[in-house]
Amino acid sequence: MTVTVSLTGRRRRAHVGRSLRIAGGITASLLFLFPVFWMILTSFKQQRDIFTTPPTFLFTPTLETYITYLQRGIIPYQMLNTVIVAFGAGIISIVAGSMAGYALSRLKIRGATFIGVLILMSRGVPPIALAVPMFLVGRSLGLIDKHIILILAYCTFLIPYVMWLMRGFFMALPKELEESAMIDGCSHFGAFFKIIVPISLPGLLSTLIFCVILAWEELLFAIVLTSRNASTIPVAIAGIAGDTVNGANWGALTAVGTLTVIPVVIFAMLVQKWLIQGLADGAVKG
Amino acid sequence: MQQNRRGLGPLSRRTVLIAGASVIATRAFGAPDAKGLGTAEQPVKLRMIADAAYANAWQAGMVPEFNKTYPYINVTIDPVPYAELLAKIMLDATAVEPVYDIIVADDPWVPQIAQTGALLDLRKETAAWTAKDYDWDDFNAAPLAATEWKGIQYGVPFRSNMLLMFVNKTLYKKAGLPVPTAALTWDEYLAQAPKLVQDTNGDGTVDAWAIDTYFKRDQLTPTIWQAIFNSYGGQLIDANNKPAFNDEIGVKALKIHVELLKYAPPGSVSHGYSEALSSFRQGQAATSFMWGSVYRNSAVDPKTTKLTPEEVGIQVMPVGSAHAGAHRGIASGTIQSKSAHKEAAWALLQWFSSREGERWHSNTLGGFPARKSTLTSKPDSDWLVPVFAALQQGYDTAEAGKMWRLRHPKSDAVQQVLADAVAAAISGQATPEAALQTASTRVEKILK
Amino acid sequence: MAILRATQGSARHPRIERLADFASRWAFMTPASVILLAMLAYPIIYTIEISFSELDLSTFTATNWVGWDNYAEVLQDERFWASLKVTGIYLGLALPLQMVLGFAIAYLVNVEWTGRGVIRALFLIPMVVAPVVAGGVWRMLLDPLYGLTNYALGFVGLGPYDWLGNPTLAMMTIVIIDTWRWTPFIVLIATAAILALPRDIFEAAEIDGANWWTTLWSITLPLLLPMIAATFVVRWLGAVKMFDIALASTNGGPGASTQVINLFIYEEAFHSLKFAESAAMAVLVLIATMVLTALFLRGSRMLEEMH
Repeated sequence: MTVTVSLTGRRRRAHVGRSLRIAGGITASLLFLFPVFWMILTSFKQQRDIFTTPPTFLFTPTLETYITYLQRGIIPYQMLNTVIVAFGAGIISIVAGSMAGYALSRLKIRGATFIGVLILMSRGVPPIALAVPMFLVGRSLGLIDKHIILILAYCTFLIPYVMWLMRGFFMALPKELEESAMIDGCSHFGAFFKIIVPISLPGLLSTLIFCVILAWEELLFAIVLTSRNASTIPVAIAGIAGDTVNGANWGALTAVGTLTVIPVVIFAMLVQKWLIQGLADGAVKG
Repeated sequence: MQQNRRGLGPLSRRTVLIAGASVIATRAFGAPDAKGLGTAEQPVKLRMIADAAYANAWQAGMVPEFNKTYPYINVTIDPVPYAELLAKIMLDATAVEPVYDIIVADDPWVPQIAQTGALLDLRKETAAWTAKDYDWDDFNAAPLAATEWKGIQYGVPFRSNMLLMFVNKTLYKKAGLPVPTAALTWDEYLAQAPKLVQDTNGDGTVDAWAIDTYFKRDQLTPTIWQAIFNSYGGQLIDANNKPAFNDEIGVKALKIHVELLKYAPPGSVSHGYSEALSSFRQGQAATSFMWGSVYRNSAVDPKTTKLTPEEVGIQVMPVGSAHAGAHRGIASGTIQSKSAHKEAAWALLQWFSSREGERWHSNTLGGFPARKSTLTSKPDSDWLVPVFAALQQGYDTAEAGKMWRLRHPKSDAVQQVLADAVAAAISGQATPEAALQTASTRVEKILK
Repeated sequence: MAILRATQGSARHPRIERLADFASRWAFMTPASVILLAMLAYPIIYTIEISFSELDLSTFTATNWVGWDNYAEVLQDERFWASLKVTGIYLGLALPLQMVLGFAIAYLVNVEWTGRGVIRALFLIPMVVAPVVAGGVWRMLLDPLYGLTNYALGFVGLGPYDWLGNPTLAMMTIVIIDTWRWTPFIVLIATAAILALPRDIFEAAEIDGANWWTTLWSITLPLLLPMIAATFVVRWLGAVKMFDIALASTNGGPGASTQVINLFIYEEAFHSLKFAESAAMAVLVLIATMVLTALFLRGSRMLEEMH
């Protein structure tokens, strides 16, 4: 009797807690999204309405900047380049990085930890120092202004992150999973791809999203390693921001900024389902 | 299928051979398109690197116009954001096989690019291809000197610009002050400044200020200080390549720059190019020391500004003890010395900097001319008339007072040191004296 | 396939089996190692080489060996030390703030309800906005003249604050923008980490009558520890390199109060074309980062072993 009472009491408290958490989550996201809202609002303003005192909420919206910049052939083309490079780098990194992360967390190999730490440490090199020599390498291989050089350059900073994050995810998995798989005759590869990967889907996808985003907005390497053919959106944005003739056109910047956000958000929405599933359906039942 | 393939065998083998031979030929004798100005069958392909701010407009407007005269020269312009343009230029210019035939260099960059041997001596090497009516002497001395280094002419002005004073006449009238003329001195300007900080609509809060310009930590902020410094007769370095700005005049100029902040809108410590433009265009600043090129978007285009050409004046900056103030900023076309298409590149440079090219450029894209004849001609738009007059004033002033950034291969490193010094003084982290002392020591080291 | 067959059918050849097993274990490390070695070996050697040399700008190669000159130059430069200090302050403020906020928000967002997916996806946006645009939009919001923040604060009688012009506030501004940008990363990883926690333990705890604090402190946190540590290390390595936000919002000013080390290296290399000195700085930063990362790794391992 007493047990039931205290349980329902706790349930009620849990219910209140749940509502509070939802309210807190919404508040936090509103706070974080306000600058984004302001960016979108600004993108519909004429330039003379952007820097007014006091700030304007009511103005005649214009689609002009969007139309101008979408018609400027190079922006859609750079958007396509950005998609190719970001997803190319993201996917290669997630495969190579998660395998390495798995090796570090589970396969006891002598020397692997050392290599792993070395890979992680390679992130300590300031990217500015790498840009020029990487350009020289790319040029001697004839790869400048090709997508592949940018993809590979991005892999160098994504792989260490993926490796380390996935190592963390894999370490949290119960060891019995692969042990039973190995007894069933699976190789390391089999255990990894058939058992571990499906269960780690939320972690893998979150990390993939993170990789895509990092590659999506990278500017320095994009400027140094590409010039036209493989040039990406951040380069276009930097060009508009650094307009030495007319001053930064904030209508255009926020419009292009808004356009670049959309594909990533759509992608994130699409993979949401698997972000939440994964382990909840796999490990607990299995 | 298989029969087919077998039938094609010898033929395709021959094709491969021919293709291979032509590849070898291309490698050995340079691309087949390398000849002169190109033909319908073999057009010349020119690559050009330029500031993204105008590269796109040039690609869309200038190239088709150029092709009306030179139909067989294909021009591709790669836009690069200004901040990384110099590094990109240096990386490509020093390659064994550089990509770019034409390099559009900013005012202080020619010495460092030329020092690597990447630029063509225009007067000497292109003489044979120069049109008879191409008039070198028609250029104003100041803009042409932007691409001169150690007596060699490496380029021609493409897009000239001057740091000038923009005036909001309405705010001067509201304050009951006479609208400035080119004879305005710094003393007069500073005496008037407090009155220009005013409440224009009578609601009890100040809503207009005397000035907005470069104050933030930025490579171009020292140009304001330098313009003041030059107007009092100061020079950055002396005849022995030693820094000469750490003197009374330098300190006085820096104090004026800092003092301007008192009459600038709140938050101006972090204002630079774009921010100063915004407040001027909103009618919140009575004056702005700004690049002339922004005139159209600050006074003419109602989408970007609240002001009209009637109320926006443009002239040289106030007068010090020696000259009026100004500062030069010329983007020039130069030719890569390893280019395989020098004749075609020179054709483009000549056309774009010729009288016709300049007139076309200023009338359609608003690029400023460097030729005396263009500046005295009547432009298509009326608002350009006072702008041309101010530009001519600016060129003469800059020439008289040597108002440009340091001409030296280490020019950009020096500019960065000056930027640190001016930023330290403006933010109050160092006194003007201490800031210039530190800068002087550093510049001396750089120039050694 | 060959490896697979070997492991399955070679009970008779223990040596081959062991070799195959060894190879298949190492095969996991191979792709990552090969890509990184191919892409990074030369650039890192190049950086170290020119840090000891004079760089010939007409070929971008090292010419004269100058020994420790570049390092001496850098170590004597008070701007280098000042920017290290600025970086330290920024990291000390931003990292803990982002870690705590990130995991807290992840906890809030992870409640099961219909809007969860949407909120989680929207939470990514600050990360995706290009730094230049983000810096500019924040400038618009914070500007003393036309900014919304001061306008709103004005209603409650505060301000106007010069968020970008006051050296202390400018640092706060950088921290705020950076936190706005990167907390979503922590939220993203933390939500996945929290979801991966085995549910039965929590059910057991609830039946045992543990309150939420005890659950959090003695069950959730220890289980999350490897992921907290991993997230921290990744964020730390990212934050050390921050310069885009500083470049876009303050450009290191006012004075040099927000000039983080990577902004300084960037300016020295790309604006002043002092590639040799900037390479020396890069090497010094690399060493400092390695030492600190090693400390963090050691620390996180100690924590992992404690639990």
